[in-house]
Amino acid sequence: MKHGKVSSRILSLTAIAVIGAGLAACGGGASSSTASGANSATTAKGPIKIWYSNNESEVKWGKDMVAAWNAAHPDQQVDAQEIPAGKSSEEVIGAAITAGNAPCLVFNTSPVSVPQFQKQGGLVPLDSFPDGAQYIKDRTGDLADQYKSSDGKMYQLPWKSNPVVLFYNKDIFAKAGLDPANPKLATQSQFLDTARTLVKSGAVANAVWPSTASDFFQSWFDFYPFYAANTQGSQLVKDGKATFNNDQGKQVATMFQTLYKENLASKEVYKGDSFADGKAAMSLAGPWAIASYKGKVNWGEVPIPAAATQDKSYTFSDAKNVAMYSACKNQGTAWDVLKFATSKEQDGKLLSQTGQMPMRKDLTTAYADYFTQNPAYKNFADQAARTVEVPNLNNAVQVWQTFRDAWSKSVIFGNQSIDDAFKGASDKINQLAAQK
Amino acid sequence: MSIFNKAPLRNDDDGARRPRASAPEGAASEAPTPGSVPSRKGSSVAKRKNLGVGSFVLLALGAFVFLFPFYYMFIGSLQTSPDTSVGGAFPSPANITGENYSNINNSIDLLKGLANSGIFTGGVIFFTVVFGLLVGYALAQMQFRGKGFVFGMMLLVQMIPFQLLLIPLYVMIVRDYGLSDSYLGMILPFAINSTAVFVFRQYFMQLPSTLFEAARIDGASELRILWQIAIPLVRPAIVTAILLTFIGPWNEFLWPFLVTKDQAMEPLAVSLANYISNIAATASNPFGAILAGACVLAAPAVALFIFFQRQFISTNIGSSVKG
Amino acid sequence: MSLRSAGVPATGDSAGRAVDQRQAPRKRKNFLGRQPLGLLFSAPYVIFVLAVLAYPLGYAVYISFHQFYFTAPGVQVDRPFVGLDNYISVLSDPEVQRSFANIGVFLIINVPLTVGLSLVLANALNRVTRLKTFFRVSYYVPYVTASVAVVGVWLFLFQQNGLVNSILGPLAPNPSWLTNSWLAMPTVALYVTWKQLGFFILLYLAALQNIPDELYESASVDGGNKWVQFWNITVPGVRSASVLVTLLATITGANLFTEPYLLTGGGGPDGASTSPVFLMYQKGILQGNPDVAAALGVVLVIGVLLIALIQKRLVGGKED
Repeated sequence: MKHGKVSSRILSLTAIAVIGAGLAACGGGASSSTASGANSATTAKGPIKIWYSNNESEVKWGKDMVAAWNAAHPDQQVDAQEIPAGKSSEEVIGAAITAGNAPCLVFNTSPVSVPQFQKQGGLVPLDSFPDGAQYIKDRTGDLADQYKSSDGKMYQLPWKSNPVVLFYNKDIFAKAGLDPANPKLATQSQFLDTARTLVKSGAVANAVWPSTASDFFQSWFDFYPFYAANTQGSQLVKDGKATFNNDQGKQVATMFQTLYKENLASKEVYKGDSFADGKAAMSLAGPWAIASYKGKVNWGEVPIPAAATQDKSYTFSDAKNVAMYSACKNQGTAWDVLKFATSKEQDGKLLSQTGQMPMRKDLTTAYADYFTQNPAYKNFADQAARTVEVPNLNNAVQVWQTFRDAWSKSVIFGNQSIDDAFKGASDKINQLAAQK
Repeated sequence: MSIFNKAPLRNDDDGARRPRASAPEGAASEAPTPGSVPSRKGSSVAKRKNLGVGSFVLLALGAFVFLFPFYYMFIGSLQTSPDTSVGGAFPSPANITGENYSNINNSIDLLKGLANSGIFTGGVIFFTVVFGLLVGYALAQMQFRGKGFVFGMMLLVQMIPFQLLLIPLYVMIVRDYGLSDSYLGMILPFAINSTAVFVFRQYFMQLPSTLFEAARIDGASELRILWQIAIPLVRPAIVTAILLTFIGPWNEFLWPFLVTKDQAMEPLAVSLANYISNIAATASNPFGAILAGACVLAAPAVALFIFFQRQFISTNIGSSVKG
Repeated sequence: MSLRSAGVPATGDSAGRAVDQRQAPRKRKNFLGRQPLGLLFSAPYVIFVLAVLAYPLGYAVYISFHQFYFTAPGVQVDRPFVGLDNYISVLSDPEVQRSFANIGVFLIINVPLTVGLSLVLANALNRVTRLKTFFRVSYYVPYVTASVAVVGVWLFLFQQNGLVNSILGPLAPNPSWLTNSWLAMPTVALYVTWKQLGFFILLYLAALQNIPDELYESASVDGGNKWVQFWNITVPGVRSASVLVTLLATITGANLFTEPYLLTGGGGPDGASTSPVFLMYQKGILQGNPDVAAALGVVLVIGVLLIALIQKRLVGGKED
């Protein structure tokens, strides 16, 4: 058989596919208009579906919360399940929005993907409930403003934060001849010196081991907390302009570059938790991680060090929020469940079961008993008031990927100077932020 | 990640060649009967099988390279703490535990996952074999208009990366056909396996076309010819296609992951991949937990393969497969 | 692109074709062909392809020419036709260029290695008498096992302090395999070769059955040693299988996704192991730009078609 014949056939098939595309264009548009029904949906009551995180302790909280709700509301049952997610909950939620089968509420919506879901028409603005804006303001206070979308509406309820701090392994510190009670970690240069001592003493192979994978979100656990500390809480992008291409940003980058250059941090991706496994002496994580350190690591924590000592430290919030999805029919019930699940009582249960910080302005006073009994968590509650969130941008994921790629290239693998990489990333991010 | 798992293709066309060249009336007697397919290799096979020491060493070395990671996987899955030194490649009584396996058993419903995988894979195999046999036979032994079109389609389909179709396909299956959280939704995109069609076509082409011409002259319907003559002759090809089709859906992760939101519907590959990426990290020995998950996923495929390997290998109907 | 002739030894093909041509004009009376029922037999397959694949493919092509993102049902948005804009932005993206270069490196290592190793091993397997079953099973086992499962053990073997480096000692590369910009893609290529080889050995094993023993016999009478026999008889004898192996290995390689996703932590180090399909996933699904991703996919499919045509000319050129 002559190949010319076959390839022309393939071409004709491609042509058919293109014609199919024309049909697709006709069929792919709006099949029904629901705009008029939007108002009635916000009051509709009835059974709803929700997803919660697949983290073990959160699953337990979620089950208890749903059971409590269902017992009191037999006519508005909640069908709850774990979010079907591995690394990629965003793709599952994004696909579900497109297919119109997203649940009513997702109790683990990452703020970074909210603008994208909103652009897809997948989210219900919570201001459309009469008491929506007021409820959020009363519960969270001014910190909630960070989560406002570019159209001025709230598409997410700020739920809980996991302020990132610097954990350290007291046993390894002692082994390296460092004082585990008063570690020298107040400034970034002290941090670097401590890292050198740890590795040179032979106490540990890696002073710290942040993931070197290229996922867009990895920078939240190396660069961003340090940058927040350095700048007293500046976001990566502010007023449509990248902020990191300055001395404060480059200083963090240079510090990490030194860590990698001097082999104080591994360039490999560790499968698992390097800190919990004793492979690294320090770790950047939030209070959620404490449960996994139990029985493995004798840990201590300090605020993320900035370039100079400071009284009020800032860090990355690593918040997870709750969003309502437009596929939801009984939005009235969904809103009631949302308020129920973020009530003072349920927030208290979330705090005691998971150690994560509900985003309430009265956090330390409302649960004073808990914090006296668990002094280890007191610092996190204090820190939760001074956190910085990811910027609310349409292209947020792309912005972070751009930053991550520049970071990999210059800081981790040293294939480009930090100046050039930051300049390039900053220019590209400015462009992305300008796009609608 | 491809939905089109590759299948072996018989590279031999002598079946089609030989009888066509001979006279039509002689064809019927020359046609092979099921089970005793003519062999061209005949008695001289033995003479070729004198293998030098060099080749044997090469094979042994290759087998070591191929099997070692699996051995290492198994050893690693039994370790209490990961041992990456050379000594870690040998079982050490001090460092052995079944805990990694019991952890999996505690967090995943293995039986349910196995059943879901079975239904998913079984459905795919069913559709693949039924459709594949029909179109494979038509392409090999029938003359009809549009044959070249079908053939070209088969080739094109194999070149398209699944990721290109992923979201439109997902939207279509879930939004338009309403098949989320259903076995049919999982099966549908895999039900066409162009490679399997290719295999069937290849095998049917080896059968002498005169055999079919004669049956047609006798007035047998095409379906009857296919069912009573052609299929019995290509039984080894069907076994091969089943085994190779099995690999695709059994190991597929991304599609069922998207389609199943309900954990009770998840195939084993999805729940184990979830286990590996989420839960294993918090286990006391994450590497051991990951490797144990890998062993659980690999075991059924490998077992099935070893069980059927005789069938699997005697795929060429050109050689006598009786022994 | 002729896979049909790929499956047919040269002599047999021409003979068969000659017969076909002689018979054709006499028999082809019916407009739909001699056995129009063939259309009916093909129908389920064709309908399936059209219903399940053609629509998404057509949709993807449509998306690639528009400014497009997926929306919830019922949401009306403007999706202007943008011509080749998406293609231009894809082709001018240095990350994309890098990924195509990476795939080039991958194919240069993977394809010859696959063809060479599978032929040599199939040839040895074809002759071995002892431990035949054991050898065969051991070569197929990686192929039948899920990537998700075996990637774990490769990570374990090739990490900084892994077994491979323990054995190599001072010879171990620094930085280690998967974090070394120069070695990451070759390691991935090696992994894929290892993973897929069993399937290609199977292809060659089938092809080897068709080389008449008389050829080997006369060669040994003429005093040719094994090496000469291999080059002069075996290699030409399985030429058509080689065309197929090359083509399938290229298609598999061009669609590389799982390995950069799982083995090198998302195309690392520093983008040294990104692949076009991985970028499609990143752009289309994670970043919500399906228009750019679809354009990349179309470019990739066309690229694979072109490479397949070139390979056909180079490897199988003599057959036509």
